[in-house]
Amino acid sequence: MSLSLSSAVTFAPPQDPAVERPLNAPELNAPRITTSSAPQVFAFAAWHSLAWLVFANAIGVLLAAMLLIPSLNGLFDAWTYGRWMPVHLNLQLYGWSSLPLLAFLFKVYAVDREPVAAWSRPVLWVWSSALAIGSVTWITGHSSGKLFLDWTGYSRVLFPLAILATWMLLAYALIRSWNGPEYASPLARAGKIIGLALLFAVPLLLYISASPTLYPPINPDTGGPTGASQLESTLVTIAILLVLPFGLTRRKATRSWPLTVSWTVFFAESILCLGLGRADVSHHRPTQYISLGSLLVWIPLIPTYFAAFEWHPNTRRWRIAFLCWWSLLIPTGWALFLPGILDHFKFTDGLVGHSLLSMAGFVTALLIFVMVQLLGEGGWIFNGTWSFYVWNLSVLAYVLLMSVAGWQEGSHPAFAIVPGTARNIIYALRLLVGVLMFIASADWLIDASKLLREPAYAQIPNARSQIR
Amino acid sequence: MPQSNQRVAGWRGVSLVAITYVYFLIFAQFAFLKRLTELSIADAHLKAVMAAMAFGGILFSLLTPRTNLLRSPRLRLQAGLALCAAAALLTLLPLVLPASIAVAFLIGSGLGILTVTLVTHLRSWLGTGSPLLKVGIGTGLGYLICNFPPLFTATPAAQALTAAALCLAAIAIASKTTPDTPPEGTPALQSTISFPQVLICFTALIWLDSAAFFIIQGTPALKAGTWEGTAHLWINGLLHLVAAVASAWLLRRRGLSSTLSLAFLALACACLLLLDPHCVPIASLFYPIGVSLYSVALVAYPSLLAPASSTGERGRKAGWIYAIGGWFGSAMGIGMGQNLGHIPPFFLLLAGALVLTPQIAALLRSRRRELIATAVVLLAALGIWRTVAALSPKPPVLTQVERGRQVYISEGCINCHSQYVRPNTADVLMWGPAQTIDDLRSERPPLIGNRRQGPDLSEVGSRRSPLWFKAHFYAPSQINHASFMPSYAYLFRSQPGTQNQGADLIAYLQSLQDQGVEHLLVERAWHPSAADFAGASAKHGSRLFTTYCATCHASGGQTRAAWRSSFRRLPPDLSVGPLQDLSAADSPDQRRDRLAQIVKFGIPGTDMAGHEYLSDRDVASLSLWLQQTIAQPLAPSTNPLSPGETR
Repeated sequence: MSLSLSSAVTFAPPQDPAVERPLNAPELNAPRITTSSAPQVFAFAAWHSLAWLVFANAIGVLLAAMLLIPSLNGLFDAWTYGRWMPVHLNLQLYGWSSLPLLAFLFKVYAVDREPVAAWSRPVLWVWSSALAIGSVTWITGHSSGKLFLDWTGYSRVLFPLAILATWMLLAYALIRSWNGPEYASPLARAGKIIGLALLFAVPLLLYISASPTLYPPINPDTGGPTGASQLESTLVTIAILLVLPFGLTRRKATRSWPLTVSWTVFFAESILCLGLGRADVSHHRPTQYISLGSLLVWIPLIPTYFAAFEWHPNTRRWRIAFLCWWSLLIPTGWALFLPGILDHFKFTDGLVGHSLLSMAGFVTALLIFVMVQLLGEGGWIFNGTWSFYVWNLSVLAYVLLMSVAGWQEGSHPAFAIVPGTARNIIYALRLLVGVLMFIASADWLIDASKLLREPAYAQIPNARSQIR
Repeated sequence: MPQSNQRVAGWRGVSLVAITYVYFLIFAQFAFLKRLTELSIADAHLKAVMAAMAFGGILFSLLTPRTNLLRSPRLRLQAGLALCAAAALLTLLPLVLPASIAVAFLIGSGLGILTVTLVTHLRSWLGTGSPLLKVGIGTGLGYLICNFPPLFTATPAAQALTAAALCLAAIAIASKTTPDTPPEGTPALQSTISFPQVLICFTALIWLDSAAFFIIQGTPALKAGTWEGTAHLWINGLLHLVAAVASAWLLRRRGLSSTLSLAFLALACACLLLLDPHCVPIASLFYPIGVSLYSVALVAYPSLLAPASSTGERGRKAGWIYAIGGWFGSAMGIGMGQNLGHIPPFFLLLAGALVLTPQIAALLRSRRRELIATAVVLLAALGIWRTVAALSPKPPVLTQVERGRQVYISEGCINCHSQYVRPNTADVLMWGPAQTIDDLRSERPPLIGNRRQGPDLSEVGSRRSPLWFKAHFYAPSQINHASFMPSYAYLFRSQPGTQNQGADLIAYLQSLQDQGVEHLLVERAWHPSAADFAGASAKHGSRLFTTYCATCHASGGQTRAAWRSSFRRLPPDLSVGPLQDLSAADSPDQRRDRLAQIVKFGIPGTDMAGHEYLSDRDVASLSLWLQQTIAQPLAPSTNPLSPGETR
């Protein structure tokens, strides 16, 4: 059966009446072990990720305020802007952006089944503890000097071990549920084993890549990443996008061509990426920007691909949001790489704005979409109307403000280096939208805390597997 | 009664809590001590006075719930307030030692009666709606009022008068109780920890608070960093208010034990940070939070949370808490501050063990698996890290430049400064020349950065002198009034076990320079275009001079004054001269171009730095204004020297 992972991985709690399950689903026709599903596993992961989001956003607000009111630095003595930055960036990446994907892996490997579920919270504690210790090391002036890979000293060992602990939990869950319905097809088993093998390399790769001796290809005209590097990292994101639905839901029986087309294009682009190599090449080379331009095909493909799957009704709002951000991210990302445009915006707030479009716009909407799908009915915590609009409109405002600042700065470096009225107004508005984003994220965290107090989410049940 | 009316009805309780705190904090703990200093009562005499106050406090805290005198809570509270007001007014008299002891005893007695009576019957004035929140607001307002700058900085007499006036107002406020007072019984928010445990926790917290308060009060440097200055006071007051409301929320949602644990953690952070004078600004954030967190509980526990079968039992519990926790703990804390001058870390550990034990025990019971897993991974990581370090070859001793590079990385300079001059762009003229990729890749790691909040630094050693770096790290906004870079003065402090990080960083930045002369030739060939000069404005140039130049080139310039003896050549006062880098033989246009070059690129071999990031129009404006206003260049032999200047 092609792509049978989709049928092997259940997508929603059985009590969810919103989605009908087709009668030919293999698990309904086979003898099976049913175990108690523990939605708390996803609620805990959501809570941890939101806690880091709120904390990182609070630091973001502080950073924005420091740029506007430099005397604030004096309140923190040695904890100046430069030390807070890695804390802010890394918590957004390794806290907010990573933990929902951990929840996704919990779903794929059936960690939400007893007795494995009881170990999900300890693993989340380990992850968050490693992040907390990492934050302490960065704020106290210990860093590798590599952006997003600041792990150094003790924390450089600790965080990979935290990832390894997660991997061990996934492996334990795989073994425990080997005969379960999730593994009915050989393809599902093979997929999960290959996935686990790949995941095993992550902690080691993280440790190695934090080394000061390694550095990715450099675009000699900007000092930034090459077109090939950007194509590579975007393809990794696309790979995640293509895999996500298989772990979250099932595909609609009537639509298979979007999957075939998407995977074919993905493999073709991967070959193109391999062909480009990893040399230090300028963005002025046509091969670089034309190759990167090949990503434009994903603007229609990704929405079409996701439309081929069945989704929980609660996800609608955030699914539309992440697809909108995606449709904005890809063309603007490509445009910002073009000769002339990148030369103007490099090192400016324009690229800061685009990074925010990527992380706070696209990635955040995607992650929330994933968590809503995982939480099912509990996904209400993300569906408050005002927080949805406040977040997304604030991100949009931020991107526009930074684009204006970046345009000015590209023409006159003094615009940023020597604050004037225009710069200060833009930065004040940025601070304001930062505060709004913080409030929206705090609202989600408060609701996630409420969710954890609901009886169904308060404790992981001690029920053991039952053979029907 | 409608819910909104219930909430409003509690204003009497909120006011009474706030006034009691104001009296205790601004008068008994503060103004009275200052008054005693004015009366030349110090050392052993001061101890005797304070002992009398503590004795009065302990005695009446314990006696109040056990005596039948003045059975009406309202009358008893009013009597306590009247005693407090009288005592405050008496301090205005020129007291001698025995009288001071008597007044101190009166203050303690009044406070003993007031506090125990208030919390025993607080429900009568709070009403039923959100009583914890009302206690939080009352406490927070009390602290906010105390930090109100005009009151905080007032004379002891004014503070005593204010305290007395507030007590009189409280007598009027207490004249009525709120209707619908809830009956005595098992509280809905009953605390789960035992009364002796609560007593120990409060004693430890008040001990810590009093010791920290006394140490800050007695150390000018600490006092300056915590509660001196209007901004500090407002921040403290608002922090108190926010923390007090948060404490009420925590008490309702997480219970007494969690609230006291958080209070301890905040206070412990403050106490540890106070050990390092440079960390006082951070300590000043933690201290009010910790104090307000437990202060709300100090009122809320005996009045609302303590299990009590009768009003008498509630009063006795309140009496023990204020006698032992309040007066004894406070006296011990002050004694620790007086005798040791600091809070020993061992004592913090002991206090932590006492306060956190219930919380830790509960955590161990409910989160054993999580704690064990976390501990195992933390220890495993420690073992691996140590093993890898032991097996790795010993790292070579770093040179000063290498150490400076580490400082550059540690401080996160990369988040604001790039080290990459983009070839064939405006970067080259401003910050060039460009490096090769091979040069970059030889760095471990390359520090290219991805955002410029400040200038590129890849060749900064060519453009800035060591003195400029040092002055800039100490006070960036003094060098350049528009700068928003934070001060890095702390890098120049001597710290045990570390080199002078500031000197290391300067050595590193100095090493970032091109040895060739090609770029110098490019700089000397540059001048603003005719269009830039045509659009230049001398008025704008004047403003730019004030922002960028006056700090060195005006007679009263801050940088000029602060580093006068360190300049290689004292920057000339441009209105006087001498101007050694301008030639008297130059035509006006040549002179204008030369001025523009100096403004943009500085003068090599001197401490004069350029302002390469300014637009050509700005540079033209500045040079135009300079040309119109500065002294004429003269032959060096006829040019007088300023004091400290050499040719």
